Amino acid sequence: MIHLAFVMAFLPYNTLVVASGVAAVGCAAGVIGTFGVLRKRALVGDAAAHATLVGVALALLVTGQRNLAVLLVGGLVSAMVAIVLLVLIRKFTRTRDDAATAIVLSVSFGLGITLISGMVSRGIPGSGGLERFLLGHTASLTANDALLLGTVSVVGVLCIVVGLKEATMVAFDPDFAAASGWPAATLDLVLIALIAVMVVVGLPAAGAVLVTALVVIPPAVARQWTERLIPMLVIAGLVGFLSALSGVVISSLAVQVPTGPVVVLVATAFLVLSIFGAPCRGILWRTRAVSSLSSEFLTKTEVGVATPTGTERRP
Amino acid sequence: MIALTADTTFMSWLDSIGPLHGWAIATAVVVSACCAIVGTPLVVRRMSLLGDAISHAVLPGLVVAVLLGAQPGGIGVLVGATAAAMVTVWFTRFLYRQAGLWEDASVGVSFTTLFAAGVLLVTISGSRVDLDPGCVLYGILELVPFDTVDLYGWDIPRAFLSASFVLLLVSCGMWCTWRWQLFTAFDCDAAKAAGVPTVAVTVGLLVGVSLATVAGFVAVGAILVVAMLVVPAAAAERLVHRLHHAVWLAVMIAVVGAIGGYLLAWRFGTSAAGMMAVVLGVEYVIAILVAPDDGVVARLVSKLVYLWRVQCEDRLASFWRAEESGYARHESTVGGLVDRWLRVNGQVQKQENALVLTPQGRVNAEVIVRSHRLWETWLGRHVDLPVDHLHPPAEWIEHHLGEQVRKRIENELGNEDVDPHGSVIPREKR
Repeated sequence: MIHLAFVMAFLPYNTLVVASGVAAVGCAAGVIGTFGVLRKRALVGDAAAHATLVGVALALLVTGQRNLAVLLVGGLVSAMVAIVLLVLIRKFTRTRDDAATAIVLSVSFGLGITLISGMVSRGIPGSGGLERFLLGHTASLTANDALLLGTVSVVGVLCIVVGLKEATMVAFDPDFAAASGWPAATLDLVLIALIAVMVVVGLPAAGAVLVTALVVIPPAVARQWTERLIPMLVIAGLVGFLSALSGVVISSLAVQVPTGPVVVLVATAFLVLSIFGAPCRGILWRTRAVSSLSSEFLTKTEVGVATPTGTERRP
Repeated sequence: MIALTADTTFMSWLDSIGPLHGWAIATAVVVSACCAIVGTPLVVRRMSLLGDAISHAVLPGLVVAVLLGAQPGGIGVLVGATAAAMVTVWFTRFLYRQAGLWEDASVGVSFTTLFAAGVLLVTISGSRVDLDPGCVLYGILELVPFDTVDLYGWDIPRAFLSASFVLLLVSCGMWCTWRWQLFTAFDCDAAKAAGVPTVAVTVGLLVGVSLATVAGFVAVGAILVVAMLVVPAAAAERLVHRLHHAVWLAVMIAVVGAIGGYLLAWRFGTSAAGMMAVVLGVEYVIAILVAPDDGVVARLVSKLVYLWRVQCEDRLASFWRAEESGYARHESTVGGLVDRWLRVNGQVQKQENALVLTPQGRVNAEVIVRSHRLWETWLGRHVDLPVDHLHPPAEWIEHHLGEQVRKRIENELGNEDVDPHGSVIPREKR
């Protein structure tokens, strides 16, 4: 931690702002992703992420300016279109859900690649830089871009904080929510839209291919540590924050390294540590608990009390 | 003469495509065929997302194999990538079983992790690995013809050779284990009980997927391989019902996608791999539109046919009721498509500026009215409905009652010959 602070002190102002903006994105993606994962929508986010490329390319083609906000709005629109298509395929055809996800994901990505490569080969100004949306490249962000990303993230988290009760309802039991008079379908839609927004603002940090990790891995880490929602949200936010921050710092030190892979690997390191070491659910913990339980069980049966849980039943 | 002209233009067109494009197209075709063959069982077994994960995850295996000194496009790379695919499958299962993650989340975690590791390895190892991150994502099909090996005096692209080898391997494997694949795909538990080594079959399928992915990797990149694995299979299984037909159809769809995509990409100057995915997507959309049993067009047509039948039958019954109440139906104009259709079919005829039923039409109309009134009577007797609520359900069901059902309702009602509204129920005509 001291080492990190030391590095931060020597970073230029721009990098500092970018780092905090992207870290805010990581935090918000962790929080909102928790609901996505609980609702079993992890890979819907992935399909949306791959589809953003189409919108980003079209936004550049139509407006002709390389303003990050414009590109991201384009990405958001195409992500929402992809989600709608996914829902339509699931509803109106007998294609299996997983195949539908894979189809939307790969075909929209193909369309994005086609558009970008066509624009590059026609020499449309600014189209060369679009490739940084594939794997993420925070080194090219300006302070203003980072402020935009940070603001959107804060607003996203505020939405969740304000609608915590509704979101919880819909995430855990949409049928019950609908039955007790909540507008469950609308809330579900808002939740999906929030995930799409997070995927889009995560683009500069992790790129279209890997941004889904920002909304999946932090909740997975948090799941290892707690059984309750609010601690889970806090832990997921924290893990997202730390992974995004370290991604930016490392890629600002080694410029040719794309940010996305670094962010993902840091988050996965957290996950692996948690799977082994987390209290109660961690593998090490469980192994110890099982061995102590079985030894207890053996001693108990030796003295003739055959209760597997080790608690004597009284008449 | 015309044939000759067509032939010469075709030849000159082929000339303008040239052998380089020819090799690229051939490679794309072989790769798509591989992917379609293994993709069909994958889609049927609901393992598409595992295919997605594997296609991302072969990257680190590929890079490590190259770093350890394997030839790009050689056996070593195939082995490395297959190992990486197995690691992915194991990691996904580990996350699902041990870490208590949800199924989709564990797929999401494992493939992003392995892909990230692969990209980082590529970036760090720099010039030692002959891959750049762009190629990883969307392939270098255009450059395939330039990397050739000398085979008995022929310059054959390396990627084409390795893809053909994989195609041979995959199709032989599929051919030999076909019955097992089929059984496992449709009922894994029954297959297990019948002594089929289901685990080995599944692992074999996944090995096939990773081989096809590696073959496709060089040509179209990691993500668009997913399109080749899943889209043709998903389109084919909408169109036909038997698994082996689906495999053949998927191969055909994939080949059309590969050739069409390459030519379109060449025409518009875009990435070939991206365009192939787009063409496959278009083919999928066509498939779900024209699918014979549940396609959008088929459903629309059957709905329209049904609505038309209901219209005609209602009209026929209204003629019959008019006759029953004693006045012939006067129509100043013959208008109306339904009336015309009934006339053409010989159900009604024109008599002194009015339409009346023909004998055939009278029989058909009686069947409808009989169904209607039988149902009203039955409802009136068995269901506690007020008399003015009996009409709407009967109006719906009169188009659906068959002869046997009418018979049974009649037996059930005894000798009731008047419906609750007091109208006579017509007798069945022989």
